[in-house]
Amino acid sequence: MERTPATREEIAAMAKIAGLDLEPVYFEELVEAYRNIEPMLWRIRQGRDRADEPAHTFDPRKFMPRAAG
Amino acid sequence: MAVSEATETRSDLCDLTLTEATRLLAAGKVSPVDLVDACLARIGRLDGSVHAFITVCADEARSEAEKSARRYASGTPLGPFDGVPFALKDNIETKGIRSTSHSKLLIDNVPAQDAHIATKLKGAGGILIGKTATFEFALGGPSWDLPFPPALNPWSPEHLPGGSSSGSGAAVGARFVPAAVGTDTGGSVRWPAAVCGLAGLKPTYGRISRRGVHPNTFSIDHCGPMTRTVEDCAVMLGVAAGFDPLDPGSIDEPVPDYAAALTGSVAGLKIGLIRHWYNDTATPEVVAAVDAAIGKLRELGAVVEEIELAPLQDYVDCKTTISTCELYAVHEKDLKTRPQDFGRLLRTRVIAGGLIRAEDYVQAMRWRAELTTKLLATFSRFDLLATAGWLTPADPADPNGFDFFKKRLIVTMPFSVAGIPALSVPCGFTSQGLPLSLQIAGKPFDEATVLRAGDAYQRATEWHLRKPALT
Repeated sequence: MERTPATREEIAAMAKIAGLDLEPVYFEELVEAYRNIEPMLWRIRQGRDRADEPAHTFDPRKFMPRAAG
Repeated sequence: MAVSEATETRSDLCDLTLTEATRLLAAGKVSPVDLVDACLARIGRLDGSVHAFITVCADEARSEAEKSARRYASGTPLGPFDGVPFALKDNIETKGIRSTSHSKLLIDNVPAQDAHIATKLKGAGGILIGKTATFEFALGGPSWDLPFPPALNPWSPEHLPGGSSSGSGAAVGARFVPAAVGTDTGGSVRWPAAVCGLAGLKPTYGRISRRGVHPNTFSIDHCGPMTRTVEDCAVMLGVAAGFDPLDPGSIDEPVPDYAAALTGSVAGLKIGLIRHWYNDTATPEVVAAVDAAIGKLRELGAVVEEIELAPLQDYVDCKTTISTCELYAVHEKDLKTRPQDFGRLLRTRVIAGGLIRAEDYVQAMRWRAELTTKLLATFSRFDLLATAGWLTPADPADPNGFDFFKKRLIVTMPFSVAGIPALSVPCGFTSQGLPLSLQIAGKPFDEATVLRAGDAYQRATEWHLRKPALT
């Protein structure tokens, strides 16, 4: 499937939603960084079985109060 | 007393491995004070050209050395780590000693408590010599725009020592200390070990507590020993490993006697060789050295069979997505309020994490489960897996060099994603004299077999005995 990279305007919109109010020099860095990450995200977005578990579990016992050892 | 005031009367003491040193200490032939003084003198004389250390704790080290000497004199040493000089990466918190993560953001951070691993090593009688350079927050480097210079490679000052545990690799490689601790999220113990000619172990996730270590990626962070020999790694792991109820990632598994597992034999061990991870992507000298190391393991009696796993790119994408999200969560506030205080590399590697969707993070975690399940399935047929330790020799120290994170496949990442123990072992040198490395991985919590194979290989080879001509 052909994919179109996000435009600068779309990156600006995503940054706004993320609360990143960046000076121009840092916005340029963000655009460059997103250009590198975007193909990785396309590869991540593959079809998965509905029941596929992620590689994390939550064990509430880990958060019980304890004395430092 | 300043470091430079120490007299390096017995510079050969710096050539001792951890295990050699403790044998001499136990026999009363060397004193911890002499060992510490020799380390401090060598650091004072040579670290100006290596930049391995951010902070050297000369006075504290001498004070602890005197205590250790008294224990040996009274016949009550604390064990095989008593009197051993060691270094900690500067992202590991140390009570009363500045712990900066090599960052302007933490330039004045003096912790009130030791990290769990610092407590363990000091509690076993180890003597903290200093805090070592790192990539900023174990990710942003090598950087020349930080408060401290990047560490350089002791085998060639025109080259880098890898990272992110760059100073720990450089410090052990330069023989400033016989042992150091690094942290490893995608290869940050094994890469510097590989290009500095060391043994470096990333243990199983949860084997060593991360409490008090500045986070990179909570779900993938590990601490690990870096030494000149695998035998030393085994000793240090035995001291550092163990359950910590205050680290939610810590796992309560018994700690075996790793040193006792070093039988010197790999006869009959079944090793799955993942050659496609390095054959097409590594430099020719790496390919030749790793192939030769595999040949040596076969000669020693291991049964090696080539296997195929998912492409390296899959593991790199999976790990990088997870890491970028978690790193952004850690640094979001500072990125928004003081972006100028980050080094450029860390800022640009982390900031796009704010644009990754929550569902992408979950998909990456689901992919991690799939990749790990498939990788661990190979252990129904094999005791160990082997591949290259790193795909290139050390990189040139070029402030204008390309950002390798954007372009490279990273051969250490599959075992980071899977959370299994993985060891770098020296297996050769380039024609320029730069170290090359083999990587051996094992089943979860089976560090003993990984170390056994690495140690057997070192007993049959001499790569780890070479010394850099540092002047």
